[in-house]
Amino acid sequence: MADTPPEVVCRDLACRFGELEVLAPLDLTFAAGQTTALVGPSGCGKSTLLRLVAGLETPSAGAVRIGGQSPSAVQRQGDLAIAFQEAALLPWRSLRGNVRLALRLARRPDDPAAVDRLIDLVGLTGFGEARPAELSGGMRQRATIARCLVTEPALLLLDEPFGAVDELTRLRLNLDLPRLWQARGTTTLLVTHSVSEAVLLADRILVFSDRPARVVADIPVDLPQPRAAAVTESLPYRRLVARVSDALGGGGGRLAAE
Amino acid sequence: MRGALEAMTRGAGPALASTLGLLLLWQALAMATAGAWILASPLAVLDWAAERAGLLTRATAVTLGAAAQGFLWGNLAAMLLALVSVLVPRSERVLSALSLLAFCLPLVATGPILRVLYGPGTGPQVTLAALACCYTTHVALLVGLRAAPPGWLDLIRSYGRGRVTALLQVRAMAALPYLAAGLQIAAPAAILGAMVGEFTGAERGLGVLILRTLRGLDVAGTWAIGGIAAAAAIAAHAAVGALARRVTRAPPPVILAVAPPRPGRGPLARLAGAAGLILLVLALWWAAMEAAGLPAFFAKRPGDVWAYLATGPAAGLHRAQLLGALGQTLAIALPGYLAGLALGVGIAAALVLAPRVAGVAMPLAIALRSIPILATAPLIVLALGRGAAGGIAIVAAMIFFPTLVACLQGMRQTPAAVTDIFDSYGAPRLTRLIHAQAPAMLPAFFASARMAVPAAILAATTAEWLATGRGLGALMATVASTSDYGMLWSATALIASVAMLAWAGLARIERAVLARAAPEQLS
Repeated sequence: MADTPPEVVCRDLACRFGELEVLAPLDLTFAAGQTTALVGPSGCGKSTLLRLVAGLETPSAGAVRIGGQSPSAVQRQGDLAIAFQEAALLPWRSLRGNVRLALRLARRPDDPAAVDRLIDLVGLTGFGEARPAELSGGMRQRATIARCLVTEPALLLLDEPFGAVDELTRLRLNLDLPRLWQARGTTTLLVTHSVSEAVLLADRILVFSDRPARVVADIPVDLPQPRAAAVTESLPYRRLVARVSDALGGGGGRLAAE
Repeated sequence: MRGALEAMTRGAGPALASTLGLLLLWQALAMATAGAWILASPLAVLDWAAERAGLLTRATAVTLGAAAQGFLWGNLAAMLLALVSVLVPRSERVLSALSLLAFCLPLVATGPILRVLYGPGTGPQVTLAALACCYTTHVALLVGLRAAPPGWLDLIRSYGRGRVTALLQVRAMAALPYLAAGLQIAAPAAILGAMVGEFTGAERGLGVLILRTLRGLDVAGTWAIGGIAAAAAIAAHAAVGALARRVTRAPPPVILAVAPPRPGRGPLARLAGAAGLILLVLALWWAAMEAAGLPAFFAKRPGDVWAYLATGPAAGLHRAQLLGALGQTLAIALPGYLAGLALGVGIAAALVLAPRVAGVAMPLAIALRSIPILATAPLIVLALGRGAAGGIAIVAAMIFFPTLVACLQGMRQTPAAVTDIFDSYGAPRLTRLIHAQAPAMLPAFFASARMAVPAAILAATTAEWLATGRGLGALMATVASTSDYGMLWSATALIASVAMLAWAGLARIERAVLARAAPEQLS
C-alpha cells in the first residue's frame, strides 16, 4: 500500500463508552492523498474518531476501511502512524532511539541517515542523543512527528501535534512539515483546535458539533499548495478562517474576515 | 585533594558524633538497667561477639546463604507470576490470589511442616525466605508492568504489534524501577524468612544462635545476634538499593498504591468466583501432596483437615482448642496491628507538620523498616517481658515502620500545584495536611494496611511461640513437637483463611473510601 495513498472510508461509524455516546453514526470518506483537518469543541469526539481510524478503539457500530483494508491490517503493514496529544516518547531511549523504534515496530530496515535527516528537519539538530526528559514540551512534540514520518506511512494521523509548540516554531513547522507528507501524497487526518492552522495545512476541513459528534460543515480549502507564510495575509485565507469560525459558532469569523 | 578530604571530614563529623552519642547513651542505659537482664552494654556485646567471631561468621554465612537462595527463587517465581498475569490477563485474579495465599501462610506453622518434608538441611529456610519475598515483589512488579502510560502502549498497537512487543519494548523497561523497589523490600524479608526457618529446628545459622541465647538468658549474646541480623538486613536493603540506582532512572512513586481488583459483576458472580478459588486451592493442595507421594501421617490433605475439625471423633475438642487459641492470638494481633497503624499514621502526620524533622527521620525510618523486626523480636521480649505487652509491642513494631514510610511517601504524592494553592492562601500546615496531604496519602495507607495483615499475624504467632506461650503460635510449636499434624495443618489453614478474609475485608473498605476520596485510583 505504501506506494499508493489510501482512501479512508467510515461507514455508519459510531462509538459509545458505556452510557456515553461519543460519536453518532457517521458516514465519512477521506480522499486519498488529501489532508483533512477535524475541528470542533473540546471533548466532541475528534480524537476518538482518529483512534477509531487508527484501530485503537473498537467502534460500537459501523466500520473503518483504509484502502479497502481494516485498520488492524494496515497497522500490521506499518503503513499507519499516529501522533498523540501527549508526546508518547519512551523515557529510557534517546531521541534518536525513539525515532528508530518506529522503524523497528513497522518492520522497516534501520536507516540512520533517514532518522538524522528527520531530526534535522524538525529542528532538533544536535539533540539526537538527548533523553525526552531533557527536551522541552515543544521539542518532544517535534520528536513524535519525526517518529511518525520516518516510516513514510501511507496514512498519517495527527492529534493536535503542534499543541505544545511555541507560536514561531509552530508557523515554521506548519509550513515545512506538510511538504514532506504532501510530496508523498500521504493521506493525512489532523485534529486541531487552531482554525488558522487547519486552514493553512488542510485541503478540507470538517467542523464537528458538540458530543455526540456530527459534521456541521464540510469546507474545501482551495488555496494553492504548497503554501507559504504570505498566504496567511491573503483575503481567501482570511475568508476561510472566518467561515470555519462561524461554523464553530465562535462569532469571531466576521471579525477575522474583515 | 585537600579540599575533598576536608569535605569528607566535614560530612563524617556529625555522623561520627551522633554514632558515638548513641553508643554512649546505650552504654549508660545498660549500666542503669544492669541486673534487669534486659539490655547488654555495647562493650559487653562487642566482647561477646569478639570471643565468638568464628562462630558468628559461620552462622551469618549460613543464614545469608539460605536467604540469598530464597531471594532468588522467590523473586523468580514472582516475576513469572507477574509476566503470566500481563501476557494472559484472565489469569491475573487467580494468580494474585494464590500469591497472596502463599504470603498469608503462617511461617510459624509452615516452618515445622517444611522441616518434616525436607528433613535436615536448609530446605525450610530457603522455602520460607522465598515465600517471604514472593508476594511483595509480585505486587510491585505487577504495578510496574501496568504503570506504562496508555500512550506508550497505543504506540505499539498502532504498528499492529501485540502483547509480547509491548512487554519487551515498553512494560519491561517501565517496570524496572518498580521491580528494583520490590527487590529492595524483598532483601530483608528473605533474611527474616531464613531466620524463621532456622527457628524451626535448623542445625546452624543466626536463628538457631539467637534462640539458644534467648533460652539461656544470655543478654549480650541476644543483642549481638539481633544486631548482626539487623545490620545484615540494612546492608542487604542498601546494597539492592545501590544496585537498583545504577540500572534504573528514578524510584517509582508509591509502589504499593494499587487498589485491589474490581470485584465481579454481581454478588452471585463474586460468590461463584470465591468458591471457584477455594476449590482450586483445595485441589492444588491435594494434588501437590499426592504428586509428591507424601505419607498422610504428616502431609495432611484437605479431607484430613475437614475430618479433624468437623467429622472426626474429637472434632469438637479440636475446634474448641483451635478457636480458643485463635482468640488469644487475635487479642495480641489486633491491638498491635491497630497501634502500629495509628502510630505510623500519627507520626507521619507529625513529621509532615514539622518538615525539618521529617528530613532527618525519613532516612532513619527507611533504614529501620528494613530490619526484620521478628529477627529482633527476642530483644523486645527481653525488654518488655513475656506477657501480652511484649507480644503487642512486637506486632506494633512490625507494622509501624512500613506504615510510616508508606504514609510519608503517600503524602509526598500530593501534587505540587495543590499544595501551592494552599500556600498561596497562607493556609496553616494542619489545614494543608487535612485537606490535601491526608487524602493523597490514603491509597498508600490502605495498601500498607492490607500488606500488614499477614505481617501482624506472623508477628503475633512468632511472639507467642518465642515468648508468651499462649495462642496459635504456642499451639503450633507444641503440636509440631508432639507430631499432632492434624492440628498443625488445621491451624495453618485457619490462619491463612483469617488473613485472606481480613485482607479482603480491608480491600472492600479501601474501595469504598477511595471511591469517595480518590476515585482516580480505582481501575
